[in-house]
Amino acid sequence: MEIKIEQLRKNFGEKVAVDIDTYTIHSGDMLGLVGNNGAGKTTLFRLMLDLLKADNGNVHIGENNVCENEDWKAHTGAFIDDGFLIDYLTPEEYFHFVGKMYGMKKEEVDERVAQFERFMNGEVIGHKKLIRDYSAGNKQKIGIISALLHQPQVLILDEPFNFLDPSSQSIIKHLLKEYNQQTGATILVSSHNLNHTVDVCPRIALMEHGHIIRDIDNADGSAEKELEDYFNVNVIE
Amino acid sequence: MNLYKIIKQNQKLAEKRNPAFDTNRFAKFLIYFMIVYWAALFLFFGVMLPVMFEELVPNMEPYHIMNQGFIYVMLADFLMRFMAQPSVSQEIKPYLLMPVKRKKLISMLLLKSGLDSYNFMWFFVYVPFAFLTVIRFYGFGGMFLYLLGIWLIFVFNNYWYLLCKLLLGEKTLWLLLPTAIFGALGAAEFLLDGLPISRFTMDLGEGFIEGNPWSFLFIIACIGVMFLINLKLQQRMIYNELSKKEDTKIKHVSEYKFLDKYGEVGEYIRLEIKLITRNKTVKTQFRMGLIVMLGFSFALAFTDVYDGSYMTSFICLYNYAVLPIMTLGQVMSFEGNYIDGLMSRKESIFNLLRAKYYLTTLIILVPFLIMMFPIAKGKITILAAIAYLIFVVGFVFFMLLQLAVYNTRTLPLNANLMKSNKSSNWIQGLVTGCAFMLPLLVDKLLSALLPEAVAHIILIVIGVGFIATHNLWIKNIYKRFMKRRYQNMEEFRASR
Repeated sequence: MEIKIEQLRKNFGEKVAVDIDTYTIHSGDMLGLVGNNGAGKTTLFRLMLDLLKADNGNVHIGENNVCENEDWKAHTGAFIDDGFLIDYLTPEEYFHFVGKMYGMKKEEVDERVAQFERFMNGEVIGHKKLIRDYSAGNKQKIGIISALLHQPQVLILDEPFNFLDPSSQSIIKHLLKEYNQQTGATILVSSHNLNHTVDVCPRIALMEHGHIIRDIDNADGSAEKELEDYFNVNVIE
Repeated sequence: MNLYKIIKQNQKLAEKRNPAFDTNRFAKFLIYFMIVYWAALFLFFGVMLPVMFEELVPNMEPYHIMNQGFIYVMLADFLMRFMAQPSVSQEIKPYLLMPVKRKKLISMLLLKSGLDSYNFMWFFVYVPFAFLTVIRFYGFGGMFLYLLGIWLIFVFNNYWYLLCKLLLGEKTLWLLLPTAIFGALGAAEFLLDGLPISRFTMDLGEGFIEGNPWSFLFIIACIGVMFLINLKLQQRMIYNELSKKEDTKIKHVSEYKFLDKYGEVGEYIRLEIKLITRNKTVKTQFRMGLIVMLGFSFALAFTDVYDGSYMTSFICLYNYAVLPIMTLGQVMSFEGNYIDGLMSRKESIFNLLRAKYYLTTLIILVPFLIMMFPIAKGKITILAAIAYLIFVVGFVFFMLLQLAVYNTRTLPLNANLMKSNKSSNWIQGLVTGCAFMLPLLVDKLLSALLPEAVAHIILIVIGVGFIATHNLWIKNIYKRFMKRRYQNMEEFRASR
C-alpha cells in the first residue's frame, strides 16, 4: 500500500518540525528513516498516523487521506511509544484486545502470537504480569508484536531496536525483512542505529530539521558509507 | 542551606509550571478563589469567636476556651492537609542521584515542609483572635509568644500528617493509626473525669502566652521526635520505593468470558472492568463512589434519617447519580494514558463510550435493588424509584458523557487520589454541577406543577427518550471528539 506525503508542514512555535513537499513510499517499500534527535522522525510518524494535526498538507495511506477518514486504520499497524500500550493488562490480554479491534478471534491471535516465540524468548507470555511491570525491552516487544498482530499492509515502527538486547535486535531485523517479503507490506522504521537500518532497509530517508534531505537507494547495501559520512561530518563541525 | 534554597526554588517552579495548572485558567481561578474564601472564613471566625465565647462562658477567658479546643483544630488541620499537601517522598526522587547525602536531603525536605507557609494558615483565625483576647492582658509580647506556640503546634501537626501520609502510601491499613490516636484522645477526654485533654491543651496554651519555657520545650521536643521518626521512616521507605518492582503480579487473570459475545463493546466493557480493578487511583475513586452510593441506599432503606418527601427523593436520586458523577465526570482522563493506542484503531472511542454507558448503567442497578427496601416500607413509591433511575440513566448520563469531548487532562492511573485530582476545567465543573443539580430541580419543578405520579411519568418519558437514542447521541459525542482530537491528544500527552 502506497504512502504519499504532500506539502506536509508542522511547526512547534518557531521550530520547523516537519516540512516535506512531496514524498512517496511505494507499496512494498521498506524505508528506514534516520536523522539526529529533533530531526522530525517521530513527528512525521505521528502526522502519518493522524495523531498530530498538520499545519498544512496531507498524508495518504492508499486512497485515504489519513485525517479525513479512519478506513486506513484497519490495515495499518504502528508502535511509537508506551502511549500505545494499555499497561494494566497482561500481554495476552492486550494482544486479545488488539486482535478483537481488528476482528480477530482469540485462537487466531494466539496462533499469530505464537509465531513470535523466538522474539519473545519466554519473557513475555505466561507470566501473569501486567505490562507496566515488564522491562522497557519487553514492553517494546509487546508493542511491536501488537503492531504486527493483524498483518497490516502498512507498518510504522519508531525506534524498534531501542531497549532490545542484541539477540532480539537481530531477530526483529529478520522478522521485519521476512514480513516485508512475504506480505509485500510497506514498512517504515526509524532508528538511530545506522547498521541495523542499513541491514534491513533497501531505501533510506535522511531527515534534518524536518526536511528529507536525502533519499538513499540502499538496495546494494551501499548507504552505510554515505550515512556515516553525514553523521561524522556533523560531529566534526 | 544552599540545598534548602535549591529545593524550595525547584518546588516553586514545579507548581508554577504544572501542566494541569499552567494552562488551566479555571483551575487557577478555583484555587485562588478557594484561598480567598478560606482566608475570609477563618478571619471571620477569628473575629467572631472572642465575642461568642464571652457570651457563652462569661466566667472564662476566650483564649482558655479556644485552647481547650486545640485537639479539634488539630484534627481539622490534619484532615485538610490530605486535600492539599504532597508527601515528602513524592518530591525526593529527582535529587536521589545528586552528590548529596540522602539523610541531608530528606532532612532538608522535612525542614522545608516544617517552614512551609501552609503551617501559618490558621493564623487567619489566631491572629485576630489573639489580638482581641490576649493582648489586653499580656501585651504584644504575650500575643507573639502565643502565636509562636500555635505555629509550633501546627508544625508538629505537619510532621504527624507526613508520617501518616507516608504510612498510608504503603498500606491503607495504616488508616488505623490516626484513627486509633484521635480515638484514644477522644476516649480519654470523654471517658475520664475532668476532661483531661482539653485541660492539658488549655494549660499548654496558657504556658505559651506566659512564656513558660516548659510549654515551648514540650512542643519542640514533640516536633523533634516526630521529625526523627519521619526521617528514619523516609530513609527506609526510599529504599522500598527504589527497589519496588512487581507490585501487581496477579494470581488469577479474570477473562469475563461472557463478554465475548458482545463484540468490540464487550471487549471495552472488559477493559473498563480491568481499568477499575487494577489501578490504584481508579479503584480508590470507584470505591469511594460505591461507599457513598451504598451509604445513601442503606441509610434510606434501613434508617429514618432521610425520611420526609424532599429528602427521600434527594437521596434516591443521588444514590443513582453519585457514582456516575464521580466516574463519568472524568471520562477519558484515565484513557489519556494510552490515547495514542486507542486513536490508532478505528472507532475505538465510540465503542469505549458505549461500553462506559452500559457498564455504569449496570452498576446503578445495585442501588435500585436496594431501593426495594424503602419501597417495601412505603418510604418511596416504586414509580418514583423507577422514574429517577431511568432519568439518571438517560438524561444525566447523556450530560456526563459530553465530557468525553472536553476532558483533556490525563489522570495518572496509580497516583495518590488527592494529588492526581487536577483535571478540572470549567466545562467539567459546569457539567458535573448540572448533573448534580438538574435532576432534583426538574423533579421538584414538575412535582410542583403536576401531580407527583404525572411528574414521575414525565421523568420516565424523558429518560426513555435518551436511553432509546443513546447510540445516536454517543455517536454525536464521538464525532465531536474526533473534531477536537488533535487538541485533546496534545493536551493528554502534555499532562501525562
